[in-house]
This record gives sequence, C-alpha cells and structure tokens, in this order.
Amino acid sequence: MAGPNGPIGYRHAEQTTPPPAARASDVAITRFEHVYEVDPRLMERWVLQQAFPNWDTLRIMHSRHDHLAWMHRHFAERVVSGAELLAELDAEPPTGTTEAPDAIQSEGGSP
Amino acid sequence: MSLTADALDHLVSRLQGVLRADQVLTSKADRFNRARTPAPFPVHRWSEHVPDVVVLPESTDDVVTVVRLANELAVPIVPRDGGTGLTDGAVPLRHGILVDVKRMNQIHEIDLDNRTCTVGVGINMLKLNEVLGRYGLIYPDNPASYPCSLVGGRIGTSGWSLIGSRYGHTRDLVLSFDHVLPTGEVMHVGDGIGGNITRSSSGYQLKHLFMGHQGTLGIATRATLKLFPKPEAELSPFFAFSDYDSAHRCVGALARAGVATFAGAVLFDEWKVAYLRRDDEAYIPQPSDVKALVCTALYGWEDEVRVGGKRLLRITREHGGRYLGDEISEGDWAARHDRYATPLHGRTRSGQVVPMSWHCEDASISHTNLPAVTRAWHAIVTELRRRTDVFDDWGMFAYTNGATGIDYLTEIDVGIWEQQLGEEAWRLWVQAKRDIAAVTLRYRGSISACHGSCREGEVDLVPEELGRGYGVMLDVKRLLDPNNIMNPGKYGLDRAYEGGGR
Repeated sequence: MAGPNGPIGYRHAEQTTPPPAARASDVAITRFEHVYEVDPRLMERWVLQQAFPNWDTLRIMHSRHDHLAWMHRHFAERVVSGAELLAELDAEPPTGTTEAPDAIQSEGGSP
Repeated sequence: MSLTADALDHLVSRLQGVLRADQVLTSKADRFNRARTPAPFPVHRWSEHVPDVVVLPESTDDVVTVVRLANELAVPIVPRDGGTGLTDGAVPLRHGILVDVKRMNQIHEIDLDNRTCTVGVGINMLKLNEVLGRYGLIYPDNPASYPCSLVGGRIGTSGWSLIGSRYGHTRDLVLSFDHVLPTGEVMHVGDGIGGNITRSSSGYQLKHLFMGHQGTLGIATRATLKLFPKPEAELSPFFAFSDYDSAHRCVGALARAGVATFAGAVLFDEWKVAYLRRDDEAYIPQPSDVKALVCTALYGWEDEVRVGGKRLLRITREHGGRYLGDEISEGDWAARHDRYATPLHGRTRSGQVVPMSWHCEDASISHTNLPAVTRAWHAIVTELRRRTDVFDDWGMFAYTNGATGIDYLTEIDVGIWEQQLGEEAWRLWVQAKRDIAAVTLRYRGSISACHGSCREGEVDLVPEELGRGYGVMLDVKRLLDPNNIMNPGKYGLDRAYEGGGR
C-alpha cells in the first residue's frame, strides 16, 4: 500500500525496537534527539519502565513542543531571541557598568 | 466529626429544597475528589477530610441560601475553587458542606473603554484570556497553577503571580468583588464604592481583608478585574553560573535595574540544578560546572523589550552568566506552569525511582538573607531525608516579589512519597515545616509569600509573626462569623471562640 508521500504502514517489530541507547549522564540515557530516559537500572523496584512504541515516544515529544509554542502565543504575539540580542550587544562598542558597585549595598541580615 | 446519618439526611433534604438535584452531590467520588489539594496530605488519614455533601451554586443568591442554611443548622461550610492551593484552604477539616464554585464561570461584562472585565469567580484565567485575546487584552494573573486555578481561589488566597513584578499580583489586579459574608449577607468590596475604581481614600481599605483569608471570612462570587494590552513581545533568557554567590548577586542586579518591562527574575540554587540535571531534558546535558541558574522575563511592546532586554543581558554578562540558548530559555519559560500537570518521581537514597508528589514550602525573604536561609532550609530537609526515603530535596529557587528586588518568594521544593506516609513520617514533616518557618522568622521574613500559612506546622508560628495583628484576626473572625461555620479549624481561629481573642 502506498500513500501520497510513499509507503505507509505499521510494522510492530519496527515500532517496538527503539534505537540503541547512548549514555547521557550517570542517571540518564537517550535514544532519540531531545528525548531522555531514566537509566533502566534505576527503575527496577518501585516503578518499572513501560514499553512505548517509537511513534508514541515521538508523539509525546512533539505534543510537548506544540504545548510550549501555544503557551508563548497565549501570552505574547512574538518571542524575542536572546541570542539575537546578545549578538547585537557584541557588535556595539563597550559601555560602562550597568549598576553601582556592590560595595555601597548593605550586607546586613544576620539574625 | 461527620454529621450523623439523620442530620445528613436532613441537611441534604433542605439543600435539595433550595437547589436543583444536580447541584447537590453526595456520592463518594464527588466528595472524596474534593477532600484534598496538591499540598502534602496525610493520605493515611484521608477520611478525616471528606466533606459530607458538595453543592454547586450558580449565582450569588445560591451561595447566600447555602450559607444561611449552614448557619441555621450549625454545619461547617468550606469554599473550593480550583482546589490548587498549597496551604489547604479548600480542605474541609471539619467535613460539612463544600461549596464548589466552578459553575459560576461566566464572563458578565468586558468594558473595553475602562479596560476591565466582570466575571463569575469560577472562571479560569487561561480560559478568560482566550476570550480577552480576541480584543488584544490580557488579565495577567499568572500562577504556576494557571491552567487549572480559578479567579475565586486567587481572591481567597491572595495569590502570587509569576509576572507580578510587571503587572502586580492578584490583590493589585482584582479591583472589587461581590462577597458573601459568613452570616449570608452580601457585601461588595473594593476601593471605596468598588466597581471599576482603582484608587479610593474613602473609608477603611477593606479589600485586602477579604483576600487571602483562605475561606475563613466568606465566599467571593463575582469580580471586576483590571486588564492590560496583550504583550506584543516576550523575552525569557536563562543563564548558567559557576557558583551560587555570583548568581545571587546577578539576580539582585537584574531586579534593581529599573527596566520597565521587567516581569520577574529567578535564582535556582545548586540543589535545584542537581535535581534538574538528574531528570530534566534541558539540564541533563549541561556541564558539571553549572552550579546555579538565573532567568528573567520581560513583556511589553517589542521595541521596549529589546532595549530593556539588552540592558539585562549586559548585567548578566558582567556577573559571569552564560546564556543557555534560545531553545532552553524559551522552552523552560513556557513550561513554567507544568509542575501541576506533570507526573513526578523522586529517588530513594540508593537511587531507585519512586513516585513522589511535588511540594514546596515558601516564604518572603529579603535579598541579603537569601544565602543564609537557603543553607538553613537545606539542612532541615537533609535531616529529613537522612531519616527516611519518603522525602527528597528538589532544590530551591528565589523569585522577585516586585520590580525593585527587595524581597523574594523563596521556595524549597520537596518530593514526598505519599504512599509511604504514616504517622511517624507525617510527624517528621510537620516538625520540618515548623522548623522552616522558624528560620524564616529568625531572618525577619514572612512565613509565606504565596501559599498562605494555615497548615499544620507553620500555623503554630503565625501568632509570633503577626503579633497583636493575630489578635485582631481573632476579633474579626468572631465578629463576622459568630457561629464559626466558615471553614473552621484554619489558622488556629477556633481560639477566637474560646475567649482568647486578645
């Protein structure tokens, strides 16, 4: 069977065979870009890992990105890029310090 | 103590005589689902907090009818809005009638000329803003519980907003409201005559008294809110630091910078970074020299945000902050409400994953006292964890209360393995809360910036914090609620009826 963009279909073995894990930290592994899993060794007693088909893992990740994009649009018409502003700062001539020195601030507060 | 079967039958019969059948709920599911909030809960004593009956009023008149009946029959009555509060305001400590206001969720008026709207208190801010957005407006009350909390709960708890440094907090944004007093009388409260007046010097300033009372002084039903133009632009940069002290100095400098579009700045400590590095996709890959984080947020017209943003970026650079990039910065800021919706897990001391609920103890702490309070609070939670796997330290953050950076909403997040809670663990937890509050007072802070302070543990220290003001609370409670039917058992106010008012 072929769809407009090529073959489609669901192969159980393919979907239940995740890509090989790469270690991300002492306690986490990764199999898909931007997706991290708790190291399975840490999920052996109280909470056991569930088997997810690959499509469902990716669906959850994409849904999360959709949710975050929705939240930005909900609060403002657009998002200003911090990286872009930093690049503009780098291109500007240096200016003086932005605040008075710490020495004039109170350092009190002990009980 | 719950009502006897006969008394409950009589109460339900009387309620069904004044409300429709579908407004009076008595099933176990309806009642048990309204027994708790997300705050740590003694699940082994769940049955002690189940209401006898739930009512769903649809108007101020419905609420008046129920409150008058509660007085006549001397039955406790507890208002509940979103049920997302963290100090158990909506938990019925003495059973009785639970008033769930969710059906009072209408938008009664949007006044485009005066930039206000009037709503039933059962409306959720996110849903309200979906409508206001069509007019280019926003109601900028933005708690972590934004997708699920309701305007009425924000009034009853005097809520704290994540963008409050720019727009103010709930007490600044709610102009006035209709309020059913514990005796069933209706009062409209605001500045002076109320309505859409923002400033009045006429008479006592009563509005604050009827906000943040945790349901002990009545039930708000309809509110007029202040609106703003929906921001054109948002900027939310996150920065990594190699040490806490530099990050602490930086967050203070950001708050003191006087940038008009500044909506807030947050400092995450080393414990929080360790927690995030363990389980958060944005921080798992971060290098080990990241020891603290700072973020800030700006809202407004794009030209203002760009100018203000560059000023704040210069400040972070001068303090040694390393920008974490657009993807992490924008994603983390957009995820600021997600702890209410995300299943959480913690770790035993051996590292095994266990299901935990999220909780946080909060306080208002001045900028200069943040480092000392941070150390003292972690010592308390470290000792808890040393004794049992039920608790896990998830780190601390400090969040500007206002635009000038005087004091900070300061929170320690604690994972709690609720299924393992028993009397001994609960006792340890309550003592830890008491100890945390004591540290706060020792450093001249307030026990709560955001949640309220009426749960077991910290409530013991409220009289110490408020001094003679606590006696005034008792006097007010006794005067307005002569039968002690309105959310009894909260804030130690029962003593108002024991001759202890002064």
